[in-house]
Order: sequence, then C-alpha cells, then structure tokens
Amino acid sequence: MASRSSALVRPPAFRGIGRSILLTLPMALWSLLIFTPSFRQAGRNQHIGAAAVILFMTALFFLMMRTGETYRWRRIFFVALGFLFPVGFIAALVAERGTMSIPISRMVSGDTPFCFMVTPSIILPAAFARTVIFPGSILPTASNPHSIAIMIGLWFALTLVMGKAWCSYACFFGGIEEGFAAIAKRRRLHRFVTRFGPQLRLIPWAILIFVVLLSAAIFEPVYCMWLCPFKAVTEFPAVRNVETAIQMGVFVALFVGLVVVLPYLTKKRTQCGFFCPFGAFQSLFNKINLFEIRFNREKCVDCGLCQTSCPTVALSKDSVREGKTLLNCMKCGACVDACKKNAAVWHLKGTPVAAKPERARLLFLYGTWALATMFGGSVLANGVHTLIGFLPLK
Amino acid sequence: MRTRILSILAYTGAALTLVVAICVPFVLMGAFSNAVAHAGLHIDAAYSGGTVARTIDRGRYTIVVYQPVEPRLLERIEPFVQIVFEPADALPSHVSDEFDLDGDGRPDVRVSFNLPADPNAPLHGDVTALNNNFVSLSNVGGESFSRMVVRAGNKIVVRVPLHEGPARR
Repeated sequence: MASRSSALVRPPAFRGIGRSILLTLPMALWSLLIFTPSFRQAGRNQHIGAAAVILFMTALFFLMMRTGETYRWRRIFFVALGFLFPVGFIAALVAERGTMSIPISRMVSGDTPFCFMVTPSIILPAAFARTVIFPGSILPTASNPHSIAIMIGLWFALTLVMGKAWCSYACFFGGIEEGFAAIAKRRRLHRFVTRFGPQLRLIPWAILIFVVLLSAAIFEPVYCMWLCPFKAVTEFPAVRNVETAIQMGVFVALFVGLVVVLPYLTKKRTQCGFFCPFGAFQSLFNKINLFEIRFNREKCVDCGLCQTSCPTVALSKDSVREGKTLLNCMKCGACVDACKKNAAVWHLKGTPVAAKPERARLLFLYGTWALATMFGGSVLANGVHTLIGFLPLK
Repeated sequence: MRTRILSILAYTGAALTLVVAICVPFVLMGAFSNAVAHAGLHIDAAYSGGTVARTIDRGRYTIVVYQPVEPRLLERIEPFVQIVFEPADALPSHVSDEFDLDGDGRPDVRVSFNLPADPNAPLHGDVTALNNNFVSLSNVGGESFSRMVVRAGNKIVVRVPLHEGPARR
C-alpha cells in the first residue's frame, strides 16, 4: 500500500517569493510589536535573544507560506521551544536558589510558579471549596510573578484561540519529546503502536479522571506530586524523606521512559499520546475550536500514510474513513504534509470539506502562530539570552 | 442556502478568533487573569497556613498566630497551627517565646530557635508542648507541612502539630 502511495505525485504547493513575503509581513510586524518592549530593557543579551526570535519566528512562517508545509517548520520551532525552556527555567532557578528542588519553605511562602499542567487537578476543589490546591500565590508577587491568576489567564486566552493546538504550538514539554522523536531515522515498535493504539489512546483519559477525582478527594495536586515526567527537567519537591525520594524516582523514570526512550523508538510523542492528562483535558477544547483536519474521501486512497505520520496516534482507519480525526488531534499538520494525494486538508468547521483548505490553514496559522510567537517566542528569547550568558563574551 | 449561511458564520467565527488572538497580549490575558484573581479563591491552608487568629506586637518584630488547620476528610496532613515571625531580619539571634494558641489565656507551646546570620543557612528549632493538645518537636526543620521551623523569605514559619484524639479540644 505504501509503495502504491509513494508512486503518486504530490501537486506543488509552493508560492512565489513575493506572495510569501506579503503573507509573512503581518507576522513580522506582530513579532516586532511583541518584542519591542524587550529592546527597551537594559542588557545586550536580551536584545540579541529578542532579535533572534523575531528572525526565527518570521523565517519559519515565511517557509510555511512558501512551501505550503506546516509540520516541518512548526517542528523546528517546537523542538527549539522544548529544549530552550528548561535552559532558561533551570538557569533562573539555580541562580535564585542554587538548586532545581523546591524546599518546603518556598511552598509555604507561595513561591512555586504555577504550571498549566495542574489546571485540571485544581478545578473541582476551586469550584466546590474555593480552594486552590497548589503551593503558589493567586496574585503575582515580587518573588513569584508566575502566579495562578496570571498563568490560568494566559492558558485560557491561548486555548480560546488554539484549542488542542496548544499541545503542538505552546506546550514546551511536548517539544522535548518531539525532539527525541525526531532523532531516530527508523520507526521501531510500529506494530505495537498500531495494534494497541486504540487502547493506549484511552490511557490519558483514564489518568485525567483518576487525577481529577483523587486530587479533589485528598486536596493535593496528584499529577504534580506523583506523575509529572517534566519535574525531572524543571523543579521538584526537595527530597526530604522516603515519600519525596519515591516521587523523584517516579519523575525520572517517567521522563526517561515516556519522553526520551519511547519517542526515540516509536517516533511518536508517547507521553502526549498515551499519558498526558492535561492533553486529554485540552482535547475537549477541540469541540469548540473552529479549525480541524478533515479527509477528502474522493481523493483518499487509504494508504495509511497519515496514520503512520501522526505523532500522537490521533487517527484510526475508521476515523479516516469517516473523513475525520479523533478528538485528540493537536493540529500539528503532519498528516496533511504526509498525504501525497492531498486528501488530508485543513478545514474550517461549517464550510464544505476541501473547498478552501489553504484559506482555512492561513486563518488557523495566523491566530495560532501569533500566539506561539507571543508565548513560545518569549520562552525562546529567555533561553537564547541565558545561553548567550554562558558564553565567555565581554 | 444553509451551506452558505454556515460558511458565512464559520468565516465570521474565524475572523473573530483572529481578533481574539490579537487581543490576547493587550487585553484578554489581563482580563482573564483579573477574573481568576477576583473569583474569591484562596490557597489551600496546608500551604498558606490558613486564617490569621491574632497578631502579637513585639516592637521590632511581629508574631502572627493562625487558627488551627484541620485536614479535610481524606487530606494527608496532620492538624497544625502556624506561627509566623516577621520580619526575620529584625529578630534577635535567639528566640524563645511562649504562645497561647487556643485563646484560653494560658500558654500552649514554647517555641525556640537560633537564627543563623546567613539567611540561606538551614534553620532548626524546638517546640515544647505545654499541654496535651499539642505535639513537641525537637530540632525540627522543614520535615512536613505540619511540622516545621523554616525561613520563608523574610519570615520564620513555625508549624506545631495538634494531637489527634481525645486529648484535643
């Protein structure tokens, strides 16, 4: 089947340079607007970081316009985001407190930066007891600018525009495993993933329900305290007894297994697809988001390339036959770029399928890339100026 | 006709999404953050220490005594009372003080600790229970959310566990 599809010629999706520049211009202006305040700050490294991000984000958007491809260029941004986030974050932690661990004293003083991954866990206690089960502060303080109100406000605003695309344009954690998934040339364990994909896809939902209910029952952010693989590369409760030592072991094991080894072996985002409860929660916003990927059944030859290319197993044979993705599609564009028959298309809900796929893609990308530049771009700039700080420059 | 109306609605929605995206950094992010900030939420007492019961003025520094924090049904913390000394840099090098935590006019615990000159140096202290309602702690640092003598910024936070069972009022 694969050899049959590879024999098909994909029509060129290239745009002329002039038209591509024209389409990129609004995004270039947006980047300048967003990063202008960085140039008012003192510090050469900050200026270099901001300038590099403006050029980087604009260049990637230009390439998206020029080539008509989304996934390849988005992935470059996303992997950079995944690897530069810990650089900036860990460097800030070490500079401030000399360690990545959070001592209990910082938890009781509300100095833990809020992480969006905790959001599903805090909903029930917040709704029924008006209590936030997180050791942060509601309002920003001098010692904790990443307060709960700020971070939830940011997440909700981005989610309103991106929906589940948050997972492929904003979540720096996803960028780390996408990076490891990109390293290997050959896909291993493919049969396992294909065979057990339908069952594995349900695990994030099961973990989501478990985490939300248990967090509400014991008034602790269970995912954060026990299950988050990314504690291994951000911050974690200081080891002070057997329980916290076990927690640390779980974080490291999950990180190595789900974020490094399995993505490398399968070329899939295994943590995102088969574990992340926040990703499952975010999938619900696909219901209200206007943009989606659809399959033009008149063109589809059921070659399966789209399913093979999907990094989170968000496609099944049945869903493709129905012309749809599954609920956990994060709109990364891998299937659209992989489809040699142009059967996988960007789609605006309410319009006829495949009527104006490029228009739908542009409308989606303008909003999403604008916010990726704002949110991810700031993270990138922070990582870049941190890296420059390590260089022996005067 | 229906297809046309749906398409018009869809493109209107897409245009609105773009407008929302543009508004995010300038208006919406702040608006949503304000909404969360004014939702009447508070941090769980296991982290924040709960509600202030009274404040004791010691001239150069203040001692804030909190109300006892009781665990919820399945919460894994011990019940405790929090006492905060602030500002830490105004405290003498040795602190030893007795506190009435339940408001009956008699002291319930004696808290004592030596304050290192280096604010980053580890802090340990002792809590002596003066009746059966409280638990004594010896050379305690940041052991758990219910048992601690720690420096948190420019404050010293002390948490004294309450005895569970019939001895407690």
